[in-house]
Amino acid sequence: MTQQSAPPILSTPQESTLFEDPTPISLTPRKKHTKEEIRTIYEVERTAREIVKGGWRRVALQLPDGMLGDAPGVFEGLEEEIGRLEMGGWRVGGDAPGVFEGLEEEIGRLEMGGWRVGGDEKEGEGEEREVEINGEGKVESFRKGDRGSREKIRLAILADTSYGSCCVDEIAAEHTNAEVVIHYGRACLSPTARLPVLYVYTSMPLEISEVLTAFERNFEKEAKAGKGEKVIVMADLTYHSHVPLLLDSLQEKGWKNIRGTEVVHDPLAPIPNRKISWESEEGEGDENLKDWKIWHISQPPTSLLLTLSSRIKELLIYPTNEKSSTNNDLTIRPQTSRLLSRRYALLTQLSTTPIIGILINTLSLSSLLPSLSLLKSLIHNAGKKSYTFCVGKVNSAKMANFSEVGGWVVLGCWESSLLEGNEFYAPVVTPFELGIALMGDEERVWSGEWRGDFSVLKEEEQKKREIEVKRTEIDGGEPEILAQDNDESGEIDEEDESEPPVYDFRTGRYISNSRPMKASKSISTSTTSASPSTDIPGGPHTSTEGNQTLARRAKLDVATINGTASPGAEFLRSQRTWTGLGSDFERVDGGGDGDREGEGGLIEEGRRGVARGYVVGERVVRT
Amino acid sequence: MVNFTVEEVRELMDKPTNVRNMSVIAHVDHGKSTLTDSLLSKAGIISAAKAGDARATDTRADEQERGITIKSTAISLYGHLEDDEDIKEITQKTDGKDFLINLIDSPGHVDFSSEVTAALRVTDGALVVVDTIEGVCVQTETVLRQALGERIKPVVIINKVDRALLELQVSKEDLYQSFSRTIESVNVVISTYFDKTLGDVQVYPYKGTVAFGSGLHGWAFTVRQFAMRYAKKFGVDRLKMMERLWGDNYFNPATKKWTKNGTHDGKQLERAFNQFILDPIFRIFAAVMNFKTDEIPTLLEKLSIKLAPEDKEKEGKQLLKVIMRTFLPAADALLEMLILHLPSPVTAQKYRAETLYEGPPDDEACIGIRDCDPKAPLMLYVSKMVPTSDKGRFYAFGRVFAGTVKSGLKVRIQGPNYTPGKKDDLFIKAIQRTVLMMGGKVDPIENVPAGNILGLVGIDQFLLKSGTLTTSETAHNLKVMKFSVSPVVQRSVEVKNAQDLPKLVEGLKRLSKSDPCVLTFISPSGEHVVAGAGELHLEICLKDLEEDHAGVPLRISDPVVSYRETVTGKSSITALSKSPNKHNRLYMIAEPLDEEVSKEIEAGRISPRDDFKARARILADDFGWDVTDARKIWCFGPDTNGANLLVDQTKAVQYLSEIKDSVVSGFQWASREGPVAEEPMRSCRFNIMDVTLHADAIHRGGGQLIPTARRVLYAAALLAEPGLLEPVFLVEIQVPESAMGGVYGVLTRRRGHVFNEEQRPGTPLFTIKAYLPVMESFGFNADLRSHTSGQAFPTLVFDHWQILPGGSPIDGTSKVGQVVQAMRKRKGIKVEVPGVENYYDKL
Repeated sequence: MTQQSAPPILSTPQESTLFEDPTPISLTPRKKHTKEEIRTIYEVERTAREIVKGGWRRVALQLPDGMLGDAPGVFEGLEEEIGRLEMGGWRVGGDAPGVFEGLEEEIGRLEMGGWRVGGDEKEGEGEEREVEINGEGKVESFRKGDRGSREKIRLAILADTSYGSCCVDEIAAEHTNAEVVIHYGRACLSPTARLPVLYVYTSMPLEISEVLTAFERNFEKEAKAGKGEKVIVMADLTYHSHVPLLLDSLQEKGWKNIRGTEVVHDPLAPIPNRKISWESEEGEGDENLKDWKIWHISQPPTSLLLTLSSRIKELLIYPTNEKSSTNNDLTIRPQTSRLLSRRYALLTQLSTTPIIGILINTLSLSSLLPSLSLLKSLIHNAGKKSYTFCVGKVNSAKMANFSEVGGWVVLGCWESSLLEGNEFYAPVVTPFELGIALMGDEERVWSGEWRGDFSVLKEEEQKKREIEVKRTEIDGGEPEILAQDNDESGEIDEEDESEPPVYDFRTGRYISNSRPMKASKSISTSTTSASPSTDIPGGPHTSTEGNQTLARRAKLDVATINGTASPGAEFLRSQRTWTGLGSDFERVDGGGDGDREGEGGLIEEGRRGVARGYVVGERVVRT
Repeated sequence: MVNFTVEEVRELMDKPTNVRNMSVIAHVDHGKSTLTDSLLSKAGIISAAKAGDARATDTRADEQERGITIKSTAISLYGHLEDDEDIKEITQKTDGKDFLINLIDSPGHVDFSSEVTAALRVTDGALVVVDTIEGVCVQTETVLRQALGERIKPVVIINKVDRALLELQVSKEDLYQSFSRTIESVNVVISTYFDKTLGDVQVYPYKGTVAFGSGLHGWAFTVRQFAMRYAKKFGVDRLKMMERLWGDNYFNPATKKWTKNGTHDGKQLERAFNQFILDPIFRIFAAVMNFKTDEIPTLLEKLSIKLAPEDKEKEGKQLLKVIMRTFLPAADALLEMLILHLPSPVTAQKYRAETLYEGPPDDEACIGIRDCDPKAPLMLYVSKMVPTSDKGRFYAFGRVFAGTVKSGLKVRIQGPNYTPGKKDDLFIKAIQRTVLMMGGKVDPIENVPAGNILGLVGIDQFLLKSGTLTTSETAHNLKVMKFSVSPVVQRSVEVKNAQDLPKLVEGLKRLSKSDPCVLTFISPSGEHVVAGAGELHLEICLKDLEEDHAGVPLRISDPVVSYRETVTGKSSITALSKSPNKHNRLYMIAEPLDEEVSKEIEAGRISPRDDFKARARILADDFGWDVTDARKIWCFGPDTNGANLLVDQTKAVQYLSEIKDSVVSGFQWASREGPVAEEPMRSCRFNIMDVTLHADAIHRGGGQLIPTARRVLYAAALLAEPGLLEPVFLVEIQVPESAMGGVYGVLTRRRGHVFNEEQRPGTPLFTIKAYLPVMESFGFNADLRSHTSGQAFPTLVFDHWQILPGGSPIDGTSKVGQVVQAMRKRKGIKVEVPGVENYYDKL
């Protein structure tokens, strides 16, 4: 008998889950942190103060999976600290103003230290407002506290995140009726829709001297040339607290053009979520960001790599995981161009697939719904069919269940939209990449610029619309071109003719039917342009007309369900050999599978019931 | 001036018995285009003076510059036979004395043999050109084999006889022996690929199926022509005369009798061929080239040759040309040979129908083809795309096998992947215009009936390279062409300026359309790849791409070789993988597929479309498969037609048919990107040993099984001693003995393996045959040239795949392992090959 060393696996194993915290976590079981360590790493005191100050009564703690082990410690620490503070509030009740002042000072310091009260985006005035609100809240909380300790602050640990741990899981937090979410670990800092968020980046220890030696060694040549190299020092959120110190040490050593970064909540910034602290007052424009190298501490997420690759001169990584510290060469130069090329190959595959799945990978993004409808219309305009999926935490098995989907686009925060790995049955791209894929071969340009967010889609869409409007103004629009075509082919009924196939660059063949919804599109647009009064998309008149034509055309190309072309049904009809019970019987009739040839069987009564316990006939069996 | 009109041609099209569709095929530089010129000059398309130098069918600038044909070119000619005697000799049905000859001049260089394949498909006969001095070369053999495979009847012309006379100064008997040897070796090839239905198509001078001549000088003759002259003189039957003028037949001047005996009274008799045919020619050559001006007029008179006054002034080679051309005009000899001996579409389609058509031999389409019926449903095969002057548009070049095609006709366009009853690769479109292809030009024509070759306008967007056009809804495809060359050499291209990308992409599409063999694609690592048959092919393609199709400056990488992953043994243990939810298990074993089977699959002789019972029969009878295994082949892969097989060997597994689609998907995926370096797999057979599935359908869906199938396939492959296959060229080098050392030196340095060395009889030339890995072939030509002072002429053609020697690809320290790692690095994936433990699950 062998002793069972691990609990049985009850669900899909972790290694097949994607969207894990992109920061490398050492695979060796982390040693238990002492209470004291937890207090410093998780910034328990400050958090507690903030909670008390914010006057929130229900608090959700969201920890990434790698840190969940510490959750009870954090929880206890927080409870203790909150308790102490609230008690303290009672005790020092008399000279409250003094405490208040002190706290405000504290908040200011915290802001500098890389902490922020989430929820608001705007800089400058927003920050002021925040402090103000917080101040009021503070007072309120004191009052609440005054009113009675019956309403105790309750903490809840979110044991599992539905999507990526970089995003704030508002849905789970709402289940506990939380008023605020405290997000630990590295975050994508995307704006949230519902709840205020406190970000605790947690601070990882960093050996400054080692970083310095690595830096010096890497820039040996430049050091001889007078230490004038333009370098921006940047760190992963969990190491961000070391940046100022590092900066000082480097400047001490005589490096003239070293800049640090500050955390801002702006994934769209030239460097996502960071602001460069330019020393000179006038500030250097983003244009010459290209002259700068970035020295990044800890392995950045791939989306950051890709985003930065076209914007800066070079990205150098100082790895922080233990494994590589023994290595002599301490700097990694990532091969981003190779990565980008692979992305290009992936997205070109999507340009020929008829069905695209939209995979929702977050529910907390404030711009989620508008983006979804934008994506849908984008796909529809390209003559393709889209299906929307929401599968919780994504893994390849879930996605391979839908083999009719030829490619996926992931709608998530700027970090988690990028799904990597060759485990996927169909290519998976980001909304930005989808935009490029659907552009059409005539206009697709791949300059190496890459963006994780999808706001770019909106811009593109707007631009395109403007151009189209201009075009229609200039030459009277499409109808005339169509008429020309007609002339050339000589009074032939265009209706019955097929769409030309598309060249598939993966196989080097022609693919027919890559735009199954195209037919309906061209017709409906022509109706809209013919009668400008029905210009509102989705207007009742247009949609009925569209439907009629669609049903008629669809008969030729794809299967229809209730008069609507359905590429999914077409896949079932044409690609699958197994279409349900009885279909294998047909095949046997047609002389299909070897030994079962031609044989039928008597119908037997099968099992029924639910998975808890099936029933065969009358007897109850447990399976 | 062209001495015929489109109307005349159109009229002749209605008489398919009087149509001859033929292609000119040969080894490179044996003089196809030059010979074609003489036919064109006869038709008045080019002037007689230019014939032989113009190479009018080489329409591209680079073809003229390099002096090689790159694209095949079609041209229609009008032929007329004067003599009733000639007409009588045609064994097939004819109607009148006028004939339409649709001629396709094809390239000779091996790298372009896909063009030859495309040309052969639409023709019924072939004019095989052989160089007197070089004899039958690799490419002669290759194209001849292809022609016979398509059931195309050959006739032969032995070209460049003038060189033998002028440069080598051979004697008559030597020349005869040389001819005889050449014909013998052609016949050896023909009889090797004997096809019962086609019958004996060996060529014999005494039957008139062999001509001799010089394309450059514009003269040629057949034994039959001389037989005609002498038949009258001797008063013998012409057919008997023909037989006497070849082989061991002698005319004994003493007894005035024909004899088979070469000696008389101890004296050597002169062979009839030498005496009656070669002698006049030799005399003319001797007289003209030795400037015996006084002899010439008498000689001319004797042979009743009348020269134009201005030609009489000429001397030397010029005079020789004129005399020979007047004496034995090449066009006459060729026309006569083509019309008399090549089959008309009516004749040819009777026996070609079954090999051309994929469907059953008794449906309306096949019957239409068999009868060459212009009233049957349309069956038209487009064999290639020809660029038009309108950039980006193409003529679809093809042949009507049945029915009549006309402008405005709405047709079903069936691409190569079309299967009857399905909608994949099927388009409906009206033909805009039909045209007659006249070399570089086209002439509009209203309609074209069965049996003719034509160009179509307006359907180019629907076909990539080739396809079937029909009006019958039940028609199957005409068989897809298989090429003897494979695109094994790749180069990647990128634009210098990112804004030009759309132009490059468009250019790649056009390039892919314009060449039957070239492959353009985007690799998984994001490179734009152009793959061609050889270095020259690729060079031409890339030049076209940069200058014409894309028209933007490009950066072109060094050539790389595409590899294949395979297994060399049987999986050491049964591979097992569990689905992500651990409820389903797949057990598989990988083993190598016989090389013969792989080759048959790649040649399309064993295909997924075959009836599974017939296929099982072939596998069992010819390749020793177990019949039950052979019947349970689930699929071919990658791309559903590659040379890897998935075989179901399970017994009594419940729900198995339900998961078949998922496993097949996983198999296609895995065989497209193998476990070692994400290269396609080849020649692997995977046996599904057992499957356990969860009882609930939801837990055994595609999501659980597709990734699992891929994992178990990877595990099985990694457990079965994986290997890397590299493509190997067959090299044939003609070289004088003195330079052979250099050849061996170069070959050895490049991992070449010589397996045959032969002296060409009667010459100091040796022919060396060797295998050379494609990887080592880059720069081979230049290397060879410098080591043999330019005396060696190699031809390289893809022959087979071989295991890359030097260790296991999984072992990073071995030579193969390093190749793999370099490849993985280039692709931007993890450098180390993931071990089997990543895919193999413990029970």
